[in-house]
Amino acid sequence: MKQKTVNQIALYTGLTLLALIWLIPVITVMFTSVKSSADFFSGMGLFELPEELQWRNYRNAWVEGRLGLYLKNGLIVCFIKVPLSVLFASLLAFALTRLGIKHSRSLFIFVLVGMMLPQQIALIPLNLVYSRLHLTNTYLCLILTYIGFGIPLATMVFRGFFAGLPKELDEAARIDGCGNLRLYATIIMPLSKPAIASAVIMDFLYTWNEFMLQSVLITNDSMKTVPNGLLSFFGEFTVDYGLLNAGVLISILPVFLIYLMFQKYFVSGIAGAVKG
Amino acid sequence: MLKQKKTRYLFMVPAMLIYCAVVVAPALYSLFLSLFKWNGLGKMTFVGLTNYVNLFTKDQVFRIALKNNLIWIILTIVFTMTLALLLAVLLNRKFRGRVVYRAIFYFPYMLSWVVIGIVWRWIYNPNIGFLDELLHFLHLEHLSIVWLSEPKIALYCVFIAALWQGIGQPMLYFLAGLQGVPKELYEAAEVDGANKAALFFHITIPQLKETFVIVFATLTIASMKVYDVVYVMTNGGPVNSTQTLASYMYSQTFSYTNLGTGSAIASIMMLIMMVIIVPYVLYSTKED
Repeated sequence: MKQKTVNQIALYTGLTLLALIWLIPVITVMFTSVKSSADFFSGMGLFELPEELQWRNYRNAWVEGRLGLYLKNGLIVCFIKVPLSVLFASLLAFALTRLGIKHSRSLFIFVLVGMMLPQQIALIPLNLVYSRLHLTNTYLCLILTYIGFGIPLATMVFRGFFAGLPKELDEAARIDGCGNLRLYATIIMPLSKPAIASAVIMDFLYTWNEFMLQSVLITNDSMKTVPNGLLSFFGEFTVDYGLLNAGVLISILPVFLIYLMFQKYFVSGIAGAVKG
Repeated sequence: MLKQKKTRYLFMVPAMLIYCAVVVAPALYSLFLSLFKWNGLGKMTFVGLTNYVNLFTKDQVFRIALKNNLIWIILTIVFTMTLALLLAVLLNRKFRGRVVYRAIFYFPYMLSWVVIGIVWRWIYNPNIGFLDELLHFLHLEHLSIVWLSEPKIALYCVFIAALWQGIGQPMLYFLAGLQGVPKELYEAAEVDGANKAALFFHITIPQLKETFVIVFATLTIASMKVYDVVYVMTNGGPVNSTQTLASYMYSQTFSYTNLGTGSAIASIMMLIMMVIIVPYVLYSTKED
């Protein structure tokens, strides 16, 4: 019993110490976000607060830093793209696991290859094609590209989960006269909430955070999404660190909310993908 | 029933169509482009494998980039994977507040690389960043340097930022894997008098074999693709010391407009990843 208590204390101490280290960057950002430029060079410690907190930084990041605009762009792209991606990937995974399609393993491998392709490899051709079609600087080019690159991971999640659902479900449904589409929509998908949740989180994170493709496809400042937009906070010679850090905090709020909404299902959804 | 058979291929159409148009076709076109010398506007000149030969024989920066990617893979496997496994094992035990700990270690994974880069640049900021503040507090000011401007250590400084970001995902995979390890195995071994270390090495690790394969594959893919965080923190500098294949490909293509060379680098990245990942893909899909 005594040994157990000692172990417990050691466990808590070790974990808490490591957790504190992990939190330092965030705490630094929080303290920084309420300071003015002058505060940094007045010899004030990083974890001291100025007498007058600069809540203005948040407003300025939102309005003058145009973060509100970048967030709106990011949300528009995500809200159109993520549902489409989840729909297309689940339809594909459904066909690959439950409709007895020939060569389904080869087809799945063909899709998985997309996960190992560096996005860079598509960059030059995509940029050429989109410029010719006058699609650069549009939501459409981002949505199309992100769906394409999101398909492999989402398909993997759904395939793993669908493979774990018993075949008897299909047989029973078939006897009741269920067609393919009804089997998908009324039986399989309602049972797949954990997979849907993980796919939504992962796809949202990818889309919300993607930087490289859009730094090439989007050159018009008012079409940028958040990561690209945040970088425009860096002036040519100076950086307002208070403003920048306020921007960082605002930019991670939506991600945090999505995670809170779906986290209940997250580990079990991942487990399906891992086992698959 | 016949109708059902015919329509089943339609289920694959939307995903496959977009995937082929946006990912597969451009990738093939890049392979094709890598055989040309082209600045993106003028005439394309067919040069065969010259771009590849030049990269491997003449290009110093390419060699640095390749080496950096390999270092990155090793660092990721040694530090990120080990730490993630350790945390998963600790956080798999039942105790108060474990959800909070899990969330703390997972959340950096949700942030964009741009945010990671900005935050860590601030931490490494000379004089007013956290790191120098810490050294000052410990009376070790003399150790302070301009962290991201030292060619010898800049890459490792960037890696620490990536470590901070990167343990969440493999930790989650390991946690999911640990839930599948039967409790009876441990109970039986404990009856036989096995100690904690023996349990870990003889039961936990072998039982997690599949998870290891997945973690290894995803970490390697991510290491080969490292780009954003380098771009934001050092932009490949100082003197190219943090250049990776992805960042070098980007600067060849868009700064020097050598589209052929850029495509060749992207193709080499793809080939390296194929070599590492194809066995994983075959393994992970083999049951059916």
